[in-house]
Amino acid sequence: MDKSWQVTLIYFITHLGLIFFMYPGDIIASTEDGHWIPIVLGFAVHLGAIAVYMKGLVRLGNRDIVSMYLGMGKGVSLLFLLPITVYFLLICVVSVRCLSEIMTVVFLSSTPLWAIMFLFLFISSYIAFKGIRSIFRTGLLIGCINVPVILFFFSASFQNVDWRYVYPLIGKSSFLTNPSYLESFFVFAGGFLFLGFTQPYVAYRKRHIVFGALALLPFFVFSVYIPILTFGQATASTFNFPFVVALDTISITWIMFDRITLFLLLSLISFMMLYLSIVLWSAMRVVNQSFPSLKPAYILLAIPLFVFIVCLYIPDWKDITEFYWWGTYLRFYILVAVPLSTCFFAGRIRKRKVGL
Amino acid sequence: MHTLIQEMKNKFSGDDDFFALEETFMDSRVVLAGFNTLLDIATTKLGLQAYIEAAVLTGTARDELKAELGEVCDRSDSAKARLSLLTGKLLICFEDDGSCVIMEPTPKPLNRAIEPPINENVFQGSLNSFTEDIHANIGIVRKQLLTDNLRVGSYHIGTEETTKISLLYYEGRTNMEFIHKLVGQIQKNRSRQIENLQQLSKKIMGFPSWVLISKFSQTELPQEAANFLRKGRAVLFIDRLPIALVVPSLLWDVFFLDSDRNLPLPLMLFLRALRLIGAWLTVVLPGLYVALVSVNPEVLRIEMAISIAQTRVGIPYPAIIEMILMLFILELIIEASIRLPKNIGPTITMVGGIILGQAVVQAKLVSNLLIIILAATTISNSTIVGLQHSLSLRISKYVIVIMAAIYGVLGILEGLLLICAYVASLNTYGIPYIGFSSKKDEIKHG
Repeated sequence: MDKSWQVTLIYFITHLGLIFFMYPGDIIASTEDGHWIPIVLGFAVHLGAIAVYMKGLVRLGNRDIVSMYLGMGKGVSLLFLLPITVYFLLICVVSVRCLSEIMTVVFLSSTPLWAIMFLFLFISSYIAFKGIRSIFRTGLLIGCINVPVILFFFSASFQNVDWRYVYPLIGKSSFLTNPSYLESFFVFAGGFLFLGFTQPYVAYRKRHIVFGALALLPFFVFSVYIPILTFGQATASTFNFPFVVALDTISITWIMFDRITLFLLLSLISFMMLYLSIVLWSAMRVVNQSFPSLKPAYILLAIPLFVFIVCLYIPDWKDITEFYWWGTYLRFYILVAVPLSTCFFAGRIRKRKVGL
Repeated sequence: MHTLIQEMKNKFSGDDDFFALEETFMDSRVVLAGFNTLLDIATTKLGLQAYIEAAVLTGTARDELKAELGEVCDRSDSAKARLSLLTGKLLICFEDDGSCVIMEPTPKPLNRAIEPPINENVFQGSLNSFTEDIHANIGIVRKQLLTDNLRVGSYHIGTEETTKISLLYYEGRTNMEFIHKLVGQIQKNRSRQIENLQQLSKKIMGFPSWVLISKFSQTELPQEAANFLRKGRAVLFIDRLPIALVVPSLLWDVFFLDSDRNLPLPLMLFLRALRLIGAWLTVVLPGLYVALVSVNPEVLRIEMAISIAQTRVGIPYPAIIEMILMLFILELIIEASIRLPKNIGPTITMVGGIILGQAVVQAKLVSNLLIIILAATTISNSTIVGLQHSLSLRISKYVIVIMAAIYGVLGILEGLLLICAYVASLNTYGIPYIGFSSKKDEIKHG
């Protein structure tokens, strides 16, 4: 059955969840002017990676990339599947630890950190446990509830902007080597990997994903520009989460709530939960297909447990950023190697079939 | 004496209402057997007499007469004879050649008439409702759907105690794969005995028993049932159960009623939106109170936060206890008003009103605001279609209340996510609960 809309929606909302937390801070830290250049450049890389990946997946037909790598022999599968798995685990650790830190900072100051991490991991593993089709349907429901909320607050966030802060439009190219800029690729890598895992369960038209990606562009741009337009570059660069702070400045008199940040943030966290559940499920697929004797249910218990323990051992924000930085090389490897290898191997498989 | 009659007499020797009368038909001796509580002997005999007289006049042979009277059956088929007697048929046994006829007699009037629905209210729609008699129910549906595409299959379930169930579907609109699966399940498990819907769904259909939302949508309105059939769903009837079971049940049954379509389109949309908002409020409101009072008061505007805090002055326990306590009392009131006979019911409403009204606030046990939240929750809980759905909704709000008490507003959102994930994971033989209709050419009709 064709599930293009569901897959596109999931792609869209998981990226929404990713964009608003770390990305604005990273971009603002990476350069002082002309922020649109790093954004567009990153986005172009993302779009290119997706285009190549989709091409490979079309060639691959009705299979997922795990079975493709496994079919290519042990060396290949070790070369690609091991980094993918490690990367998935890294994503889980960083996101869970990071989100729970944000939660304690923003509004759960008296709740212990482990309780919040437990909640996040419990919910995402529960969703992952129900299977990929169920994840997509959950995405549909939660999207219907939360996307209007996000769009509303997103448009309300233009309340305090001063458009003169857009200038200067052209900046230096020094951002390319800035570590913060390299870290910002967290948003671009990883979020699209799941598209190669859904194949035997959920079929979709690959072109829709590109449209979904294009619809994300305004969010990429304005998540960075709203804090800059509100505070100016100099002030905005002092915040850890500039977008969240920018939202805190909004006041809507007819709403009985004082801090509307909360609702946007929480909707985004629901999307992050979906993202985490997809990552957990994908990691489970990799492990399960590589070691078929392990039961999926046990794997889905073991991975979150492992992530939870690692998260407990990260003491503070500085260590999270360090963890975040470790992932950078892996991130670029995934961003470049997985789409290209998928395209290449899928082409070879198809040729072999035609040859037979 | 006839062996079959002897066997039946032995079988029902302890039953006073069993009768075996000897008669003479066209010079041969026959025995009429049946239950006088299920059939009207006098009228049945008159009918028989008319048959025989006509047969004598036209010179019909005896074998032809037997075929005219009813189904001719073998004398060795005692199981069938027993079932026919129990379902109120008349057994006619011919002594000389040992053959038997199962005849449809004049039944005793044991069914109530077709009446307006009791558990569901109709707003601008047809007022008939289903009754206990399965034949009457199928007949009502046939009246609603004048088409030659309506298919009816009946099955007797159970060996010791037999229950008749019927499966109706609209050929050409229903997903036949699903129907085959359904029929296969019924055929496979037909020897198992069922007494209630739990057993039907577990023993016959093979659904898991720990589900919050039933796999059957229930309705007692023929108009709704006919509409479900048109949309490609299957309808199950069980004898003696005055409701139609619609499979697969879908999420939208909770909000969309077919009789809405008798209203102009904007009004229909308004009503449906109200139901959606009602369901959402039911789940969120109690949790929101707990979260805003005890975990995240800073989210509110300061004036609002202060006025809420003022209503809670002097209340000795945390918001979660306050909430659970009052929700529990409310559940008790709802349950009690269902149990009690109609003429005592208003007493409960009155007493409950006093408790939930001023008294409990004046006694400083709960806050004013809580009463408002509670009332709003109960009212909005009742906006959705179908009592069994509102029960599932009632239970799910506790998940959110507890999570809100621990995690505040975050808990509400995560609880919603959890509920969404649960709802999304449900499916009936692969047809997802949140889908729009059952798979095949559904979008056109849905």
